Order: sequence, then C-alpha cells, then structure tokens
Amino acid sequence: MGLWLVRRVAASAAIVGAVVTLTFLLLHLAPGQPFLPGAETPIDPAVVAELRREFGLDRPLTVQYAKYLVALAHGQLGESFALHRPVAEALEDAIPNTLVLTGAALALDLLLGLVLGVYQAARARRLPDVALSAATLFVSSVPTFWLGLLLLLVFGEWLHWFPVGGVVDPVLHHSLPWAGRVADRLWHLALPACTLGAVGAAATARYQRAAVLEVIGQDYVRTARAKGLTERRVVLVHALRNALLPLVTLLGLSLPFLLTGAVLVETVFAWPGMGKLAADAIFRRDYPVVLAAAIAASVMVVAGNFVADLLYTVADPRIRVHGE
Amino acid sequence: MFGAMPTRLVLATLLCASLVACTRRPGCVGEYCGTLVFASVGEPEALLPPVAQSAVARDVSDQIFLKLADLGSTTNTIGDEDFTPLLAERWEWAGPLTLVFHLNPRARWQDGEPVTAGDVVFTYDAYNDPRVNSPFRTGVRWISAVTSRDSLTAVFRFRRRYPEMFYDAVYHMRILPGHLLRNVPRDQWQSAAFGRAPVGDGPYRFVAWKAGESLELAADSTCFLGRPHIRRLIWRFTPDLQVAVSQLIAGEADALEVLVAPEDLRRVQATPHLATYPYKGSAYGFLDFNLTAPGDSTRPHPVFGDRDVRRALTMAIDRERLAKSVLGEHAVVPPGPMSELWWIWDPSIRQLPYDTIQAARLLTARGWIDSSGDGVRERNGTELAFRLLVPTTSAVRRQYARLLQEELRRVGVDVQIDEVEFSVFSQRAQAGRFDALLQVWNTDPTPSSGIAQTWTTEGIGRSNFGRYANATFDGLVEQASSSFDRPQARRTWRSAMEVINQDAPGVFLFALENVAAVHRRVTNVTIRPDSWWALVRTWRIPPDGLIERDHVER
Repeated sequence: MGLWLVRRVAASAAIVGAVVTLTFLLLHLAPGQPFLPGAETPIDPAVVAELRREFGLDRPLTVQYAKYLVALAHGQLGESFALHRPVAEALEDAIPNTLVLTGAALALDLLLGLVLGVYQAARARRLPDVALSAATLFVSSVPTFWLGLLLLLVFGEWLHWFPVGGVVDPVLHHSLPWAGRVADRLWHLALPACTLGAVGAAATARYQRAAVLEVIGQDYVRTARAKGLTERRVVLVHALRNALLPLVTLLGLSLPFLLTGAVLVETVFAWPGMGKLAADAIFRRDYPVVLAAAIAASVMVVAGNFVADLLYTVADPRIRVHGE
Repeated sequence: MFGAMPTRLVLATLLCASLVACTRRPGCVGEYCGTLVFASVGEPEALLPPVAQSAVARDVSDQIFLKLADLGSTTNTIGDEDFTPLLAERWEWAGPLTLVFHLNPRARWQDGEPVTAGDVVFTYDAYNDPRVNSPFRTGVRWISAVTSRDSLTAVFRFRRRYPEMFYDAVYHMRILPGHLLRNVPRDQWQSAAFGRAPVGDGPYRFVAWKAGESLELAADSTCFLGRPHIRRLIWRFTPDLQVAVSQLIAGEADALEVLVAPEDLRRVQATPHLATYPYKGSAYGFLDFNLTAPGDSTRPHPVFGDRDVRRALTMAIDRERLAKSVLGEHAVVPPGPMSELWWIWDPSIRQLPYDTIQAARLLTARGWIDSSGDGVRERNGTELAFRLLVPTTSAVRRQYARLLQEELRRVGVDVQIDEVEFSVFSQRAQAGRFDALLQVWNTDPTPSSGIAQTWTTEGIGRSNFGRYANATFDGLVEQASSSFDRPQARRTWRSAMEVINQDAPGVFLFALENVAAVHRRVTNVTIRPDSWWALVRTWRIPPDGLIERDHVER
C-alpha cells in the first residue's frame, strides 16, 4: 500500500507538472494577446507595451517559464492581467461558488440517476422503462445552455418562481437573518443546479439501468430470489451493490468537474464560478488565471482518480490496490 | 412512517426559514429612499480611475469620484462655456496658457478630510506618471504642469493653446485623495487594494463589491452637491445580455443602459413597468479596407490599393437596408467615420451613393471582368476576392458579414468570412494581417482625438488599422481641431469628412442610436450619451412610487 501510494503521488506530481508546462507553452504559442480593452476603444500601443514590460511578457519564454515555476514553488499564482487583483483572491471568490453549484448538481445527478436507473431496470422493457428511456435520451441530448435559458424564461421571467440568475438577491440578502440568507441562496441555486443536475442525471440513469440489468440476471441474484426475498430487497440490497461500480467510475470522472465548473451554466445564470473565470481568462489571454485554473483542474483530476480507485475497493472487495 | 418523517422535517425547516426570512427590520419610507439596480453585462476591473478604462468602471467611478467640471448637456468640448462646475466652483484664465480652478470649500472626502488643491496636483502627477501607465495619459499630454496656489486654488499650465484645453483639463481626470494614495507605490496601482474599496468625494460612497455578483454604493447625505434622492445604487453583474434583459423584465433590475437587439427592445417596450429613453449613441461601425498588403505595409493591397475599386465596393452596398435589417430602427447610416455623439454630425455631408450599376461600371473600367462566367470578376488571372475578418463575440458584425458577402457577390466580388475570437481579431488588426475587417469604435465626446487616432497618418501604428493616409485629410483634421470658432470648425470637419468619403478607405455602415430602459417609478431620468449614469444623483423615486426593494435597509 505504501509503495503504491508513493508511486501514485509521484505520478500525480508529474502529471500536474506536465499540465503546467503544456498550458504555459500553448498559451504563449496561441494567437491573440493580453491587455486589450474590453470594448472597442482605441488604445495607445505604448500603454500595452508598458504593461507587457511590467508583467515580464517582453522577456524570453524560457525566462518567463522559469520565473513562473519559482513563484509557484513559493505558492504564488501571480497577478491577473485583466482583473487587477491577485489570482489567489480571484480563485478564493470563485471556488466556493463552483463547489456549491456543482456539488448540488452532482448530488442531484447521482441520486436522481441512481433512482431512475434502478427503477427502469426493475421494470425493463415495460411502458415506464420505455417512456423514461426516451425522456432521459432527450434530456441528455439537450445542450445545457439551452435548457438553462428555457428554465430562466419559464420559471424566472414568466412565472417569477425563481430569480433570473445570480447567487443571492443583491438588495435583500444582507437585510435577512441567517435562515433567510440560507433560503435565499437555495432559491438562487435551484435553477442552475437543476439544469446541470438534470442533464447529468439523464446520462447517469442510462448507465445505471444497464449496470443493474447486467447483474440482475446473474446466479447470486437468482439465488436471492429462490430464498424467497422480496423483489425490492433483491434489487436494492443484492443487485445494487455490484451495479454501483459504473457509478463510482462516473463519480471519479465528475470530481474535476466540481472545480472547473460548468462554463455555460455559470454564464447563463450569472453564477461567478471557476468555469466562468477560466473561460473569460482564456478569451482575454489572462495567462496567470488560465494557468491557475489548469493547475486546479489537473489536481482535481488526479485526486478524482485516486478517490475513485479507493472507492472501487470499498464497493468491490475483490479489487485490491497494487502492492497488496 | 419511515418515508414520511424526513419529508415533514424538510418542509418544517423550509417553512421556518421562510418565516424568518420574511421578518425583516422596518424599512425606509418617504423621500430619499429608493434602491436602483443596474443590470450590467460588464464588471469594473478596478475602481481607481487612472487604471480602469471600461465603461462600467467609468460609470461606477463617476458616482464616487468627481471631476473638476463636467460636460454640459450640449456635449460641446470647445472652450469652457458649456461645462458645469463640480469640484471647482469657478475658474478663470490667467493668460492664454494658464487656467485657474477654485475648489468648492465644502468639498470633503468621505473620510472627512477636505478636498484640496494638493489633491488636484497629486492627481495630475499620478495620471502623468509612466509607472501608473494610465490609458488616459495621452489626454493630459498638453498640460505642462499643475500647481497649487493655496489649499483651494489649482493652477494648470499648458504647452500650447488649442480649443479643447479646458476639456483636457477636466474630462480625463477624476480627482483622487492624495492622503490615502500617496503611500501606495505607483507601480502597484494596477492592483492596489484601494481600487476595490475606494474612498471618494462624490455623491455616493462605496459599500461593498462581491466579485462576479454585485457592487453597491450608498448615497452620501453630506455631499456638497446636494443629497442624492436615490439612497442605494447596486450594479448586478450578468455576463449575458439576454439574461440582463430578462432580469429587467422580471423586475429584478431597474435599468440597462443599451438595448442592442431590436428583439430585446420590443420585449422591453411590451413590459408595462419599464420606460425606454433614446439617446445619442457613441459607437459607429464600418468595413475597414486594408490599403496595404496584409503583413507587408510597404506594398499596396492588390484590391484595396485602388481608390476606384474601393469606391465601387462602397457604392455596391445598400447601407440603409443593412442597418435596418440588422439593427432595426435604432441605427442610421453615418455621414462619415463618426458617432451621433459628435457635434460635427451632419447628415448633409456628401457621401458616395448606393448605385450598383455605377459600381459595376467602375469595376469593369478598372479591368475587373467576369470573363470565366463563374460570377466572380477577375483581372490578369486574379479573382476579385478578399477575406473579411470578424470577431466571433459580435453577433451584429457576424450578421453584417453575411449580408455584405451577399451584397458584394451581386457585383462579382467573392468575400470569404474569417470569424476569429476577439483577442485574435484585435492582434491581426493591429499587425495589419487582414484584407478587410468589420470594426466598431466607441468614441469619446470629441472628434479631434478620435479621428486623429483612427484615420490620420498620425494614427498609423496605433488604431488606423487600414493605414489610410491622405495629406489633404490630415491637414483638414488638424485645421478643424485647431479652430476656436465652432461654426468654422464645423465647416472644416465637413470638408474633411467629404474627402475621406470620396477616398472610401472603409464603408461606414452604421451609427447606433442607443435606447436605455429604466423602471417607470424613477423620475427625472436624464442619460448623458458619453457617460450614461453620470446624472443619477439627480434622479428621483417619489414616495408613492416606492416598491419593496426601496424600503429595504442593509
């Protein structure tokens, strides 16, 4: 176990290092340039040249790269070109928002997907299964931004049931007691989390249905039925545990998404998270923010895979890590 | 039993939360209440005026920091007679190159310190400091020095005499608190903490800024300009314009400065609680021809190097029809490279007509003939074709590009559209690596600096991307910019515009007539075209018009 852990940590560090290097190179080699005005306003090239000098972009690429690595080793992510603030501060603001949104969406995705998948498998090839299969296929095919705009239009603009974007009500929030603030946050979270969660749940349900169907025909399930157990107990207790492995894989793949967020949903719902921050930074060629986002994402990918590997051993005792 | 228990618990919790949520402190009533929420597509980069250039940073900063004086309703930038006092209660000329401002003795910083002439000196020094690297530095380049005669008297000295000396002295700089910024190293102003929690001297003071969410200001009831009627201003940041319009319609925001798409305008006009306010636009859009070979400015462009071909292409485009179909009723064809904001706007300026027959004749006369019968003209084996560069971020320009492609195809010109992201678009424009591009310029209130930077020889290497150069035009622009006599200046500008129109270095496609939307409960609404919300301190919400959010105490 110890050796396996050391190997995994070393490999993970190498992966993150490679991501930083590749991102750095690609960013600087890609066309486009930082320090452009946000709108179509003439800008003095001398001002841009001075900004490039100030941020060291006039130095050779190798020097810039070495300086970035040294700063990174000291825990410094640098100053954003476009936001006029340290990158770490921008991340501090964005990460909690993304964790809340994607955490809620992921919970909805897994729970709803699991329930629907199991329900469909238990009623395979009957009317509820066929109807739900069609519905989940439709929802998983819908672009998230389109679904988001539709929900905003119907539940926000027309019915006024939910707010049209934002994390909290900017007028009322600070005047509310703590419980009201929590309710306000949940109220604002509902539509974006449902948008993101519904699309994910539709896909999860299809995976889960297939997984349950695969195990439901196996001998040990037949044995459980022969013992006189109820169908509910057979499916939920005996079949489901072995059918959870695909879900563990999906969870592992989903963890990086917790931090990188969902760019389109964040844009549609004016939700200031990591995805939006990273996408804006790419368009503005805000190199320090893009690099920080890449580091955060790669760390999450590595951590996600690590957690998934550990969960496999819990879900399936036959699986053991190398070295044991 | 097992299933019902958690459901009841959740419902009870939500009910309690809702009840507690509804129990708020008693709210504001009467005059001087009112909370105005702006739906804002952009977010300020900082609230330190010398280093922030975006329109939304300007909008917010203008509530917090004051200029010495401001443009009047005429937006006349020549002389000083149309300016209104702000920090300076009066001013006088002490010679042709010396301007003396007398500060209002009642002006105070929001921390209680008086605003002094020393702050004015400090501000000029900061704007002019290469370490601060302010984009407004060029605006104050003709000021040689600013000194203080006493604590309330600031003296400006100029390098030369010109008609917009006063405009340059007051328009570019918001006066800064020297006592709070003196110890901040100048090379760190770009990301100074002050820029995210500023202290100013304007009608509103900074309250809170949650990045990506909202920014709040509160009225300063002690402001010497008078207590603003509206108590709270909140900018609600929304990255998508469609969502911003939806917030407005849903009653979650009160004001939006520009409705771009005709469909958005129709949606807003159909909403009973919203009123629309048309005002002069500050932007114009055009098809910019690169007069030199892409990437090699020493050689003429094979197509656009020929003046007659440029004229023919201009005459082949029905600009009126394109403006109406893309932008609806709120755009017009400009009589040259100008926005409606400029005082030189004159629809009677001579332009090339829409005349496809004449355009075809001109192309044929220049040797461009469709001899192969494939619909595209050619000369010496080279097709009459070019690539049109468009930024993907602009739906308007992408739509225009397709319509232009169709219009020019009818006279035998093959146009291929290159859609690239804005950063790449801008880089290629500045490097001259394009045949033609669709550009929009947002102009400041004066044509003098804008035209020089974008269309004269002086602008080559800056924002004159197409490298248009005509000594006659340059001379007329210089003459117009130097004239103290406004009618004479207007005549000279007209001549300059007619020269550039005849040369056709670009096709001037549209000038926007902006429309703002504001909640009907707000009265005294005045929108200044160069700075939309500059007069918010004079807006009012009558006591009988207050809605729930107006009563809310923070």
